[in-house]
Amino acid sequence: MMEPTVALLTTMALPLAAFVLCLLTPNHHNIRDGGTFIISILLLGCVLNVLSHFNAGTSIEYEALAFQPGLSIAFSVEPLGMVFALVASSLWIATHVYGIGYMRGNKEQKHARFFACFAFAIFATIGIAFSANLLTLFLFYELLTISTYPLVAHKENDAAKKGARTYLGILMGTSIVFLLTAVVWSYSIAGTLDFKPGGMLPTTLNPMFTAVLLALFAFGIGKAALMPFHRWLPAAMVAPTPVSALLHAVAVVKAGVFSMLKVGVYVFGIDNLASTGASQWLMWLAAFSILAASIIAMAQDNLKRRLAYSTISQLSYITFGVALATSMGAIGGGLHIVTHAFGKITLFMCAGAIYVATHKTNISEMRGLGKTMPFTFIAFGIGSLSIIGLPPFAGSWSKWMLLVAAADTGQIIMIGVLMVSSILNVAYLIPIFARGFFSPATGTGSKAVNADMPWREKLMEAPLLVVLPPCLTAIGCIVLFFYADTIVDFLNPIALAPSLETNNG
Amino acid sequence: MFEWLHPALVYLAGAFLLPFVPNGKARASLILLVPLIGLIPLLTMPYGETLQFTLFGETLTTFRLDRLSFVFSLIFSLAAFLSLLYAWHVRDTMQQVAALAYAGSAIGAALAGDLITLFVWWEGTAIASVFLIWARRTEGSYNTGMRYLIIQIASGVVLLAGAAIHYRETGSLAFDKLSLEGVGAWFILLSFGIKCAFPLLHNWLQDSYPAATVTGTVILSAFTTKLAVYALARGFAGTDFLIPIGAAMTLFPIFYAVIENDLRRVLTYSLNNQLGFMVVGIGVGSELAINGTAAHAFSHILYKALLFMSVGAVLYRTGTAKGSELGGLYKTMPWTMVFCVIGAASISAFPLFSGFISKSMILSAAAKDGHYITWLILLFASAGVFHHSGIKIPYFAFFAHDSGKRPAEAPWNMLLAMGLTAFLCIAIGVWPNALYSILPFDVKYNPYTSTHVITQFQLLFFSAIAFGTLMRTGIYPPELKSVNLDTDWTYRKMLPAVLGFVILFVSAVWSELARGATNSALAIRDTLAKFYGPEGRVAQVQPTGYMVLWLAILLGAALFVNLVGLP
Amino acid sequence: MAKKKSDKSEGVDSIIVRSMSWVDDRSKVDKFFWGVVAVGILLTLLDLFYHKHVYFETENIFGFYSFYGFFMCAALVVAARAMRVVLMRSEDYYAPQDVEAEDHPEFDLDRKQADV
Repeated sequence: MMEPTVALLTTMALPLAAFVLCLLTPNHHNIRDGGTFIISILLLGCVLNVLSHFNAGTSIEYEALAFQPGLSIAFSVEPLGMVFALVASSLWIATHVYGIGYMRGNKEQKHARFFACFAFAIFATIGIAFSANLLTLFLFYELLTISTYPLVAHKENDAAKKGARTYLGILMGTSIVFLLTAVVWSYSIAGTLDFKPGGMLPTTLNPMFTAVLLALFAFGIGKAALMPFHRWLPAAMVAPTPVSALLHAVAVVKAGVFSMLKVGVYVFGIDNLASTGASQWLMWLAAFSILAASIIAMAQDNLKRRLAYSTISQLSYITFGVALATSMGAIGGGLHIVTHAFGKITLFMCAGAIYVATHKTNISEMRGLGKTMPFTFIAFGIGSLSIIGLPPFAGSWSKWMLLVAAADTGQIIMIGVLMVSSILNVAYLIPIFARGFFSPATGTGSKAVNADMPWREKLMEAPLLVVLPPCLTAIGCIVLFFYADTIVDFLNPIALAPSLETNNG
Repeated sequence: MFEWLHPALVYLAGAFLLPFVPNGKARASLILLVPLIGLIPLLTMPYGETLQFTLFGETLTTFRLDRLSFVFSLIFSLAAFLSLLYAWHVRDTMQQVAALAYAGSAIGAALAGDLITLFVWWEGTAIASVFLIWARRTEGSYNTGMRYLIIQIASGVVLLAGAAIHYRETGSLAFDKLSLEGVGAWFILLSFGIKCAFPLLHNWLQDSYPAATVTGTVILSAFTTKLAVYALARGFAGTDFLIPIGAAMTLFPIFYAVIENDLRRVLTYSLNNQLGFMVVGIGVGSELAINGTAAHAFSHILYKALLFMSVGAVLYRTGTAKGSELGGLYKTMPWTMVFCVIGAASISAFPLFSGFISKSMILSAAAKDGHYITWLILLFASAGVFHHSGIKIPYFAFFAHDSGKRPAEAPWNMLLAMGLTAFLCIAIGVWPNALYSILPFDVKYNPYTSTHVITQFQLLFFSAIAFGTLMRTGIYPPELKSVNLDTDWTYRKMLPAVLGFVILFVSAVWSELARGATNSALAIRDTLAKFYGPEGRVAQVQPTGYMVLWLAILLGAALFVNLVGLP
Repeated sequence: MAKKKSDKSEGVDSIIVRSMSWVDDRSKVDKFFWGVVAVGILLTLLDLFYHKHVYFETENIFGFYSFYGFFMCAALVVAARAMRVVLMRSEDYYAPQDVEAEDHPEFDLDRKQADV
């Protein structure tokens, strides 16, 4: 066991080390990929180490730089950040392995830059997860934006550059115009930027200002892809699929909604939001976002674009959970970070696997592919069911908690929104899976399969390194179904008022 | 001894192990073994609540065995065995897995002691069962399956929402009798109503069941709807307005059944009609009525499976189940014909067949509580059932005009499954007390009174005479290749049109809005670039005076923010 | 068919077939129908000879069940026939989103002719 603080710092040093390693070995593919793989495993071990310290009750804090009281670069560990770091570090392993298979199988260029930026993005993500105050969060948030820009633009063609510009423009723009203002404003009000359980802002704040400030935060955190600042997400789909998986499941979007949760829980305080009603408008906007993005997703034929809109919808669940301003909502949102991460990364990795194996990107061309790519399509089916929120997959529990939270606020309409959204999810996710297995194959590139062939010969899967990770994360979706209780127990402290007792009366 | 063994887990374990067993007789035998092993804990466990878990601070009961859940899980197990025997010849791994998972989920749901566990299995039945429809692997069955799945999942989602609201209203997740004073219970009732095919919520049933494979339809017919009946009986027994709902359910399907051509769809309409009897029983809610509902569900699952099996066998041999294409098959499929007639006699409630001893309980219970109109409707529906299921099915399949088809007799496993089911149908009719003794309540009931028997025969004979008269006079509508519009028209023709428009509209508005947002973002970026970029203002060397001025402005801004921000 | 069967030892199935062969003879079907009518009338007359245990007054009407069964069924058929005018569409009305106009896939079937 390492010292708590050392362990905390090591979690950030390891991805940095991977970053340096990648830069130093531009032409030694195996050394770089292998080394990074080892580092990714070490990182998970290190995060688990931090977790064991945290579970033992040790308070883990580290102040790197102090400018003046209440203004510093500092790190600390709390349940939400711990969960986020765990998700990011464990899924990094999967994404990295997948990335190796994808980059090689797809004959992409510039591996070193790709994996270096990847590692740096993980560094920034861990920094966000463990940041102890808004300033640190903001800094790492921007680092994450910058480090993922080259990943989006990786293909270096016009489409990639255009997409990357939109990506950078919206994320940077919103964060500087809104988020920075919100941070400065918060500092001027509270005199500190340190996250505090129950909220760092004074509870006596005028509800009107609370609402405006919340708006600055909500729109400033563009990574949460709250409508109308969601466009960067579909635009970023030009990136290679491992990046999409990282962006849409692990690092970027989850950093966004994670920041939303942090702001809701530690800056405003759930009770404060509830008593002032300042988040009412956000709840409606998130609800709108959930439905509108789902409906748009139905109209997309490009698989990655459909998944991107699905992500926008799902991220709004978490924003929605914060905006409900109940402890159950916040915890449900935290749980949804985990469950959605596993579900959506599975879907993206499957989309990539399909692309590697067949070079197909449109859903209408994917009919009948399940017969030759059964593993990919079964994983895709599991991921879909988890996203929809069906048992026995992880997603069902976060939806359940959000439903209970919505019931707490007495908003039947909001319950209706969640219900309709689930149905819409079925309508745009399941057909991909079902058509894969139960429709005759269309177009070229599909192998003639006859029933008498041994099953191995029927396969036309992508390389093992590309197929295995989504299968593993799909299994993760099932495992998490049975361990959701543990995560919820772990997250419970973020809500100061225990949810179950207070609301029964 | 087996307190750790949950019957549903036996099925799931079976479903999981299946693919690793060589596909052939070994696997088929394993499949048949599963329902038998699943019976062990069911028959050996004492009544009570076991296998409890804690989730999010609430205790969940996954195995609640009492008299009501016992009857239903027992008949589910029996139905699983019989329909899997019927499907012995199927070598499609996916159908095998789906069938086991589906049956297991239904049993799991019947044993669930709380709403969360119920939800888990409830959705389990939805997900597993859709594969039996998709297994047909045609464009039509894919689309039908999607419609089916969406409605089934909607039912589950409504259940979950209802559970959440109910939980917050009452602080309890227990699945017992639910009071309709809260909003949550209404959601739950709606969810049950969808699965139970209440009028206007019914059409998924007629749409989907005939679209499944030969064996899939038999398996489908047993579980989903009867699970809903169980859930209603558990949660909403004695809810008055279920009586008119149930009465309406017995009524409208029989009209459709008369003009429907696809015999499997005729059977689905009559399935819907039979569910109506059970819903009436639940609505009446007396001990006799609940007993009647449970007994009727029990015998109904058997005779309905038997009818689906026999029509399935015809389909299996001839490639069609349409009345317009069939006829005269008794010549070469005599056994199938006999079994079909036994199923028809059971559903028509001929004395000495299973339907008689269970349906008469519901009619007696309704009459006893003075539901006169309902009783008249049920009587009409009984006659109607005989008309369209009892006569129409065997008549158009096996007799009528000779279609010239000379299919071979059904394979042995189908005949054996049908034979066993037929035996049970007769056995229940002849020795009703065995079934009565496992019903939820101890109520003495004798179906074989002279009044009952004679009036029932009068009703049935004159329905038959009506059929004969109408046939001979040519009034009876001929079987025609056709589709009859039902409520599904609203979501198959109308809704897609509306939704298509909405999607177009939202997308269009959306891209406009998004473009606007992007443009403003880009404008902001350009402005920033003008100041902060390499050529921008900020990058240029500035005199100290300017800096002081900027600092003053910044400070002033901070001061202003401070003043404004202070409450 | 009867020719062929006679060669073999007679199984139960052929007994069933033979015992049902009257359905192809119009005059026998007529006889059967009138037989059913006769039994129905006898059953109705039984009402005079036993004590009915009834829940409702209606049941005491002579031959209530018989008349109710006959007329309601006739009404049912007439009404259903009328429904066709409004509700009936061609088989491929919902195609291709519906199985109605499709052939049942052969892999799910085992078409076999009887050896006649």
